[in-house]
Amino acid sequence: MTDKLERLTNLLLVLLAADQPLSLDHIVHTVEGYPEGYEAYRQAFERDKRLLREQGIQVAVEAIPGAGDAIGYRIHPDDYWLPDLKLTDEEQRALNLALAAVRVDERAGQDAAWKLGAGGTLASVQTAPLAALPSAPALPLLHEAIRTRTPVSFVHRGRRREIEPYGLLFRNGFWYVVGHDRMRDAPRSFRVDRIEGLPELERDATFVPPESADWRRTLPEDPWMMGEGQELTAEVRIDALHARMAEAELGSAAVAGRSADGSVVVRLPVVNRDAFRSWVLEMLGHAEVISPEELRRDIVEWVRPLAGKR
Amino acid sequence: MSNPPATSRLPADARLRRLLAILAWLGREGRARIPEIARRFDMSEKEVVAELELAACCGLPPYTPDQLMELFVDDDVVEANLGPELARPRRLTPAEGFTLAASARAILAVPGADPDGALGRALQKLESVLGSQERMTVDLDEPELLGQVRDAAAAGRQLRITYYSAASDRTTERTVDPLHVFSSGGRWYLDAYCHQAGGGRHFRVDRIETARPTGETFPPATGAAPTTVFDPGPETPVATVVLPAGARWLLDSLPVRSLTEQRGGRLRVELAVGGPAWLARLLLRAGPGSRVVAPRALAGEVAVAARAVLARYGE
Repeated sequence: MTDKLERLTNLLLVLLAADQPLSLDHIVHTVEGYPEGYEAYRQAFERDKRLLREQGIQVAVEAIPGAGDAIGYRIHPDDYWLPDLKLTDEEQRALNLALAAVRVDERAGQDAAWKLGAGGTLASVQTAPLAALPSAPALPLLHEAIRTRTPVSFVHRGRRREIEPYGLLFRNGFWYVVGHDRMRDAPRSFRVDRIEGLPELERDATFVPPESADWRRTLPEDPWMMGEGQELTAEVRIDALHARMAEAELGSAAVAGRSADGSVVVRLPVVNRDAFRSWVLEMLGHAEVISPEELRRDIVEWVRPLAGKR
Repeated sequence: MSNPPATSRLPADARLRRLLAILAWLGREGRARIPEIARRFDMSEKEVVAELELAACCGLPPYTPDQLMELFVDDDVVEANLGPELARPRRLTPAEGFTLAASARAILAVPGADPDGALGRALQKLESVLGSQERMTVDLDEPELLGQVRDAAAAGRQLRITYYSAASDRTTERTVDPLHVFSSGGRWYLDAYCHQAGGGRHFRVDRIETARPTGETFPPATGAAPTTVFDPGPETPVATVVLPAGARWLLDSLPVRSLTEQRGGRLRVELAVGGPAWLARLLLRAGPGSRVVAPRALAGEVAVAARAVLARYGE
């Protein structure tokens, strides 16, 4: 029996060398290893075709010239090879090193390295891992939609959204997709790991993204500025224990006062109260909302049920 | 070195990917030693020979010698005359394109990276082909002491640090041998041997308040650095908590052992606990409706933390 790998390799070479579509009958009789009987070899060929597609190899299905309605198969070289990247050896090594040093999706990283010509597994690259980024099933499809300027729809926290995606942004430990929300007719950002299921690309449509990189500004830097609502200005006293870290996070411009004991008072705009409360409570008893009264009360009412009997 | 699996145990698609990679590399090299290929591609030498002999039988109809791949295995050397075609980069799947761009962007986001260096230039070429210029941003934070701890790890310099521990909600002084510095989930961590703890510990770099060299040195680390931050071992205490439905997002990056949804959407969660203050922080943020089911001692810690907050407000 022929090794399936041999059948696949020959199939690939034959389809790639074809300058016109080849009939199924022709293929199964020139490539060794297909079973006897129409139904059996058709199924085996369909499986091979799917397997190739999963590796990113598109088998084109086309009418055979001069053969009426007959359908044939081939691989267009342009679908198989990337346009020449003209990478220097040094640039190729740098990409390979990046793939070895960053953990995102290990299988995809290995395959990308190989496709770009890495001469070995990523594990054989002598480098210490430098960063790990979370991966989410929706990310590759969103990236593809962004590259190909294809509108996309998905369910995000229970609601259906339709966006023209402009870009992906990794910030504060999470991936966000930024784009033009068609239903609200306004720019919006969505946390990718909260997308339910897979996004759907509207394959036959395209859009024109804005030229500039301004889309990044759609996503506020601080979580408590995300969302919609009235903006309040909050003042928070932070004990010495957390003062340096808070100042590093917010920037010195946010510091409205310093005390001799090392504590600081910071002033910051707040839109998203849940995120603000969460940020304050991360400092446990080392932070106190001074104003406005509304946000002070919110903390007290939130925490009181957890204090137990006194 | 682990034993590479026998060829027959790998599925055909994985073997095809690997074979195409070997052929692409051989196409450029022209000639290579079998042990070298085995090492690079993590295979046994027997496996390499088997796969190359298979490939040598592949080609185009009528499969006469002139139509087959020119691959000759002789002793432990393979000679390849495959032409430039096979060595060209192949199209990327969406997952590969994303992973490649994200990896390169992450490296370029590391403070001190040169955007005009080889990687930056490679990414630019790649993105102009993919159509994704200016379409992805990776922000990694840049804590004040990052450069200093990275230098110390690279040179094998021992440090005396003051560190705020979120688990115990205290600042302590420690002597550490910095081994690796890595970014996980957007934060920088120092993996170090801690002389106070007598073992390896991870320190969030933005929580290191001060660091100064002690003057002692140690051999710099060579092994692989970890990229996971909190890796609860079997001895880490586990707590059972009930949280309101709205608190699910707080669990996104926590070491959750089990999660069941109860009536009304409440969540019953078992999770490894980083420390009493760590658990108190989680419950205070989760808010009304959350409680510690077990162990009882930790339930008391949460109430104490809640009272400490209320005391700030005169309650």
